[in-house]
Amino acid sequence: MTTLPKMQDLAQRLLAYEAFADKTSGHAESVTLRVYEKLREGLGEFAGVAGFQSLASRALALARTEAPSLSAVRVSADGALQGLGEIQHQFDINKIQAGEFPVGEGGILLIARLLGLLLLLLGEALTLRLLRVTWPGAALDDCNSENGRNA
Amino acid sequence: MARGSPRRLQFGEREKRVSNQDKVTIHQLPTGVPGLDEIVGGGLPEFSFNIIAGAPGSGKTTLAHQIVFANATPERPALYFTVLGESAIKMLRYQQQYTFFDPAMLPGSIRFINLSQVVLEKDLGAVLEQITKEVEKANPAVVVVDSFRTMVRKPESDMDLQSFIQRLALFLASWQATTFLIGEYAEEELRDNPIFTVADGLFWLRQTAERNSIVRKLQIIKLRGQDSVPGLHTFRITDAGVQAFSRTFGLTGQLKDPPSHRRLCFGIPELDKMLGGGVREGDSVLVAGSSGTGKSVLATQFIAEGIRHGEPGIVAVFEERPQAYAERAASLGLDLETPQKDGKLTILYLRPLDLSVDETMHSILDAVQKIGAKRLVIDSLAGFEMALSPGFRADFRESLYRMIFALTGIGVTILSTVEVDESFTEFPFSTYSISFLTDDIIRLRYVSIDGQLRKIMVVIKMRGGNHAKDIREYEITDKGVVILGKRLTNYQGLISGIPVHSDRPDSTEAPSQATGIEHKT
Repeated sequence: MTTLPKMQDLAQRLLAYEAFADKTSGHAESVTLRVYEKLREGLGEFAGVAGFQSLASRALALARTEAPSLSAVRVSADGALQGLGEIQHQFDINKIQAGEFPVGEGGILLIARLLGLLLLLLGEALTLRLLRVTWPGAALDDCNSENGRNA
Repeated sequence: MARGSPRRLQFGEREKRVSNQDKVTIHQLPTGVPGLDEIVGGGLPEFSFNIIAGAPGSGKTTLAHQIVFANATPERPALYFTVLGESAIKMLRYQQQYTFFDPAMLPGSIRFINLSQVVLEKDLGAVLEQITKEVEKANPAVVVVDSFRTMVRKPESDMDLQSFIQRLALFLASWQATTFLIGEYAEEELRDNPIFTVADGLFWLRQTAERNSIVRKLQIIKLRGQDSVPGLHTFRITDAGVQAFSRTFGLTGQLKDPPSHRRLCFGIPELDKMLGGGVREGDSVLVAGSSGTGKSVLATQFIAEGIRHGEPGIVAVFEERPQAYAERAASLGLDLETPQKDGKLTILYLRPLDLSVDETMHSILDAVQKIGAKRLVIDSLAGFEMALSPGFRADFRESLYRMIFALTGIGVTILSTVEVDESFTEFPFSTYSISFLTDDIIRLRYVSIDGQLRKIMVVIKMRGGNHAKDIREYEITDKGVVILGKRLTNYQGLISGIPVHSDRPDSTEAPSQATGIEHKT
């Protein structure tokens, strides 16, 4: 199974959004991890810890088939991601903002897979509505966005 | 009494004042379920604390979702707490298939909050604290806990169950939330479980297998503050969600039209004369006869005559499709196609085998209200009975009574056909013993005369009017039912089917009318 380009694109938008926020607010942690944590928080509210943990585990298993570098990454019982920081390449913030993501990068694949599962289980309308709660300013379905934000 | 001192109110006066002035108004929320508002007495009492109970698969979650989607707004949202059981993701996956599900309402107007973790790891006090926190934050109009049963599965918790339920109910009412707790309860638990004592409303959903059909019924066991319709009400779950069919057919509160003295004709002059000018508007007429005697022809002529007089009609058929029915009418020179196109006639084909009377009624009532029908033909009662789920057939007579009472109550004149076994020793009106449900009975039957199997017709009963006592011979021609000119007077024992010829010649008299005698059966 390959990652849906649409989901990869959506993942990149979220990463770009968070990367921009990193630049302006000086967050130190991985952009991928921040996106993941926000998903965990947002989805955990209605799906529950166990519900999110199940989705994340499945997403990780799917992403591993495309990115072997994720083999050391684990999803803990509370849904937290462990081991991503060690394998996460530091993104060039300028490239991220320009939309030049390392497409095969494990973190992006993991986020894309997680979004793909949501899309599969809940449908596009509901998935986007849930994401908009966490990222109200993000351009989730707009190609003409800047830094992942609504133009 | 001293001047200026307040007069002491007598008990009756005080009671009247309280009832008229100081009584609190309980606003009602729409259920979002077609038919259910009428069953609960107009709507759901605002700020009430309700239980939706039933076995797995009975439709509890779907009902709760419909209530939520009908009432949630961004200003007063709905909080839907999920606990152990169906996961929220799967619930949303399936529930969004229903047409009432509007994704745009999530999460602004409807928020799903999972309480599994706190239920698993902490006690009921922590659960109450979590609910309290979310309610205070969101100020919801509607709160649902699904499933409450799984939430209170730990009776050994610090806070005893009764206290927890009491505090939860008090808190949610104080915060002006209308609450629905969903639970898989068994009916034998009704006596012992404190939740049923605290609840203002108790909605019980049932699903039973009746031979090869599934029958769903709901009961409002309890609803404080308003009159709900008692008894078991049929409901169905379709892609539109739950649809309920009230035992009163949604006609509660509708005023019965004042008794009409108008007579509705068949357009068969001799028959109309026998009926004293036609059947009374709002009557229930039964046309009984064996196969081939022309019951459906008579019914079609009754409908067609109504349309000719500007009275829209409904024909409910169970044994043949509308097209075939219209084609048969066309062979009698009766055009049923044009009035259908003009919205003056609806031929309902009610799909067979798993209907409830209430569903059938709902379809008929919808059609009646849509075109303002004045005449209704049910062709036939035997077909109607066969179309019902086996579980409803046992109640057929009682259901028929409710249906006829409801429809005639709103001024619709009903003509039902019924097939009776032809007997040469008896003269039954109906195999269903339903003649007490009818105001007028017309009996058709075969009779053996002069080596021919001929047909005779007699008006057996007309409640509230005179009618001819004549036994008339008739034929079915390309013009429909045609009554032959003479009253048969030279035969004895016509209604036995095997008359004996007498020497008396056939009468040429006009149909005789009884004077002031009402035939009772």
